[in-house]
Amino acid sequence: MNSSDLARLFRPTFFLPALKSKDKEKIIEELVQPLIDSGLVKSKRLVIDTLGKRETLGSTGIGKGVAIPHCRTMAVSDVHVVAGITQAGIDFNAVDGKKVNLLFLIVAPPHDSSNLYLPILGKIVEIVRDTKMRKALTQAETFETFIQIIRGE
Amino acid sequence: MRSQMELLVLYQDIDLMLLEAEEEEKQMGFGTEGREKLQKARNDIAKSIEVRFLRTYQRLHTRYKRPISPVQNDVCLGCFAKLPTSYGERGRNDQGMFTCEQCGRILYWIE
Repeated sequence: MNSSDLARLFRPTFFLPALKSKDKEKIIEELVQPLIDSGLVKSKRLVIDTLGKRETLGSTGIGKGVAIPHCRTMAVSDVHVVAGITQAGIDFNAVDGKKVNLLFLIVAPPHDSSNLYLPILGKIVEIVRDTKMRKALTQAETFETFIQIIRGE
Repeated sequence: MRSQMELLVLYQDIDLMLLEAEEEEKQMGFGTEGREKLQKARNDIAKSIEVRFLRTYQRLHTRYKRPISPVQNDVCLGCFAKLPTSYGERGRNDQGMFTCEQCGRILYWIE
């Protein structure tokens, strides 16, 4: 997957530049909410539960202020990505113990026929490992700026 | 109250999560130290699922990686067979367990 392919998956309504929640569970719910509002989720509880179970496996707080909560769930019929930023930072039990400012939520159906889930996850991990891009994404205030950074422009 | 189908779907979602854990760890560096804890959580969910649901799932799991198949537009997305319209609202609202007449998978309406 290249950066342009990834950029095409984002939508303006799925970009939350000022997350308000103060804890891990609530911020995951806040990230899921745009999908609920768009009618893309059959069961909110199922998505939240499955994301929670994924955190049981190991925190998706990968360090350096980034978390990528993700799961496959039958509650959705397509792959969706939601991005969010919290300048205050929240405790996400990240691997380095640091607060998280930049979050990407990825949900995909188990029958993801285009098999996008793991490539999306891999591409986002690759992008946020780049210090310059990570910092720029954390400071993005508009969807347009955010997408330009994802595209590497 | 949570439907039996929703619990069974969560059970399958965890099964798949455990299957993909190694790939996530090796290729992307995600921690998967909670594997045993997650297996325990899955077993706890199993205790709330009716035995006949779980037995059907486990029997199908020997044939299919994903024993539960999504249904969209009255089509089983496991084998693409058109489903009887008689399944109707009951299937859509997770009232009971329906299986595909062609492939045998448990059906879950995703719309």
